[in-house]
Amino acid sequence: MSDSTMLLAVFEDIEPASKGIDTLQKLGLSEDQMNVISGIPVKETILGRPAAHTHVGRIAISGAILGLLFGLFLIYGIPFLFPLDAGGQPFYPVPEGFIICFEMTMLGLMGFAFLGMLVDSGFPSYTPKEYVPQISDGRIAVLFHCPRGASDEFVNALMKIGALSVNPAEANQL
Amino acid sequence: MSAIAKPFIGSHTTEQEDPHEHLMHDPLPRGEMNAMVLESMHTTTWKYWTLAGILAFLVVTCLVYAWYILIMQGLGVTGDNRPVYWGIFLVNVVFWIGISHAGTFISAILRVLKIESRRPFTRAAELMTTFGLVQAGLSVFMHMGRVWLSYWLIPIPNERTIWPDFHSPLMWDFMAINTYLLCSTMYLFLPLIPDLAMARDRSTGWRKTFYKVLAIGFRGTEGEWKNLKTAMNIFAFAIIPVMFSVHTIVSWDFAMATRPGWSSTVFGPYFVIGALHSGMAAVAVVLFMIRSTMKNMKYFIRPEHFDTLAKLSLMVSMAWAYFYFNDYLVPWYGGDKWEKILQDFTQRGPIGWLWYFMLFCNIVVPWSILWNKKWRRTPWLMAIVGLLINIGMWIERYVIIPEALTINRMPFTWQIYVPKLEIFLTIGTFALFFLLYLLASRLIPLIPVWEVQEGQEGHILRKIGKAQIPTVSEID
Repeated sequence: MSDSTMLLAVFEDIEPASKGIDTLQKLGLSEDQMNVISGIPVKETILGRPAAHTHVGRIAISGAILGLLFGLFLIYGIPFLFPLDAGGQPFYPVPEGFIICFEMTMLGLMGFAFLGMLVDSGFPSYTPKEYVPQISDGRIAVLFHCPRGASDEFVNALMKIGALSVNPAEANQL
Repeated sequence: MSAIAKPFIGSHTTEQEDPHEHLMHDPLPRGEMNAMVLESMHTTTWKYWTLAGILAFLVVTCLVYAWYILIMQGLGVTGDNRPVYWGIFLVNVVFWIGISHAGTFISAILRVLKIESRRPFTRAAELMTTFGLVQAGLSVFMHMGRVWLSYWLIPIPNERTIWPDFHSPLMWDFMAINTYLLCSTMYLFLPLIPDLAMARDRSTGWRKTFYKVLAIGFRGTEGEWKNLKTAMNIFAFAIIPVMFSVHTIVSWDFAMATRPGWSSTVFGPYFVIGALHSGMAAVAVVLFMIRSTMKNMKYFIRPEHFDTLAKLSLMVSMAWAYFYFNDYLVPWYGGDKWEKILQDFTQRGPIGWLWYFMLFCNIVVPWSILWNKKWRRTPWLMAIVGLLINIGMWIERYVIIPEALTINRMPFTWQIYVPKLEIFLTIGTFALFFLLYLLASRLIPLIPVWEVQEGQEGHILRKIGKAQIPTVSEID
């Protein structure tokens, strides 16, 4: 049996949510025990949270390198495997190579940025999740683990600084 | 001697602008904005279905049936013949790719430059990119004739040992357009995810399932936003050079040939600026249609947005005129016999009026109207200007392609191009574009509500002296 319970606190907007996070920190929760869910992106510094980590940039750069290699294969590998004499043009031209290599590099960069966003976020995912629809109406929710038996203390502290609701987080089908 | 500032005789007091006329300074609760956008999507009147029916009829007859005739009887049923092998099909390809530049320009460049007034209409422009590229692709396939052999363009092992020649500008074009189509579709989808999640939270029935699938499980956690914003930033920067490359490569389809009228080193930037000219103008037309026909859209799309578009259009039309003059002057000055004949044919030939009408639409109309602030902020007038610019830009491509092909270095082949079946196919592509847009307007939120709210959060009115000055904080 888990020694903590998960609660979802909903706040009107950024200001009370920021105070709520302060309160949770003062009550002894570490940063990795809470997560903010919002209808618009809110900079971490505004809420006093550590910067979220992302692998999207690195994945995109890997895609760009793969795209470049594929472009090199198309422009130089294909004439090597299947020579096609077109009006005496060189088989391995450098200036033309830039064009295909550029297109494939950019396709790789953006394609992998897209895939990276999906993979790093765990999308697509259709399993039940802790969420309330008010979030997309502009409310800000803080999802946090609180020690079992200390729920009342957390709920009272958050309601006192203006939380709209603090309830046990239920995973629902989105 | 002391100087005393005196007002000019007849000077009048400066009009105070109401800051609340700007969307960013006229915020509504997010829930209310969500409800407004969803209501606009769910409202369909008999006029909507009538228009959809007419467009569907045009698509079936002018696109599907006409294409069937083309496939069954061959390209001989079109006006394409010696010496004009590239007729309206190619005009349409260049035109639609031009239209597609609007989305990237507005969404990516204005996003990178942090131009706030872009927020409510980025998606409307991005949709034009995707649907415009669909029409461009269809026009290529139509012109191909034996469209069922189009897979020969893909370098896959085959028993024919036929391989695409990557040294050909047409292959560069194929790669560039496909890259642009794929990337712009992903770029359309990324900022759409939070709005699809919003629609999912408020829908029932088949719509709920539809949005649930498309929202891919998005909730808006810190990590999800971070990943989404990082990906959007990468796209915003990376898609700009791709956009430039696409129309530059389209121009090389022509410029790489040593033909009179085509062999020009300025064709790349000239085509890009032409694409932006038609794209910006098309956005104004589409925004006017959305604002006039969809519920609640007057709150989101305001005269200030037409003003922004008009200023950009004016700037782009000046750049277009500059490049056009460059492209015109050098061959004129060079005195090459065939270039001279072509210029005479274009301006004084049997369809020389098209050339003058093109200059009227692309230069006279924007320059004479868009300098005036009041006119720039008049949506219906902007729609008319946008329409005329697009007619002008379509004619520009007609002048560049079939007219230039008419005159070559073998006078015995000269023959004026008369389009036949392709006129119907052109009508069909326009009908399909509007039909797709019409259907999309009821399926996906055309207004990126989260981006509007994000912008509104960063805007405040600051009192300086006796005036309230709009002020923006960089919160994203």
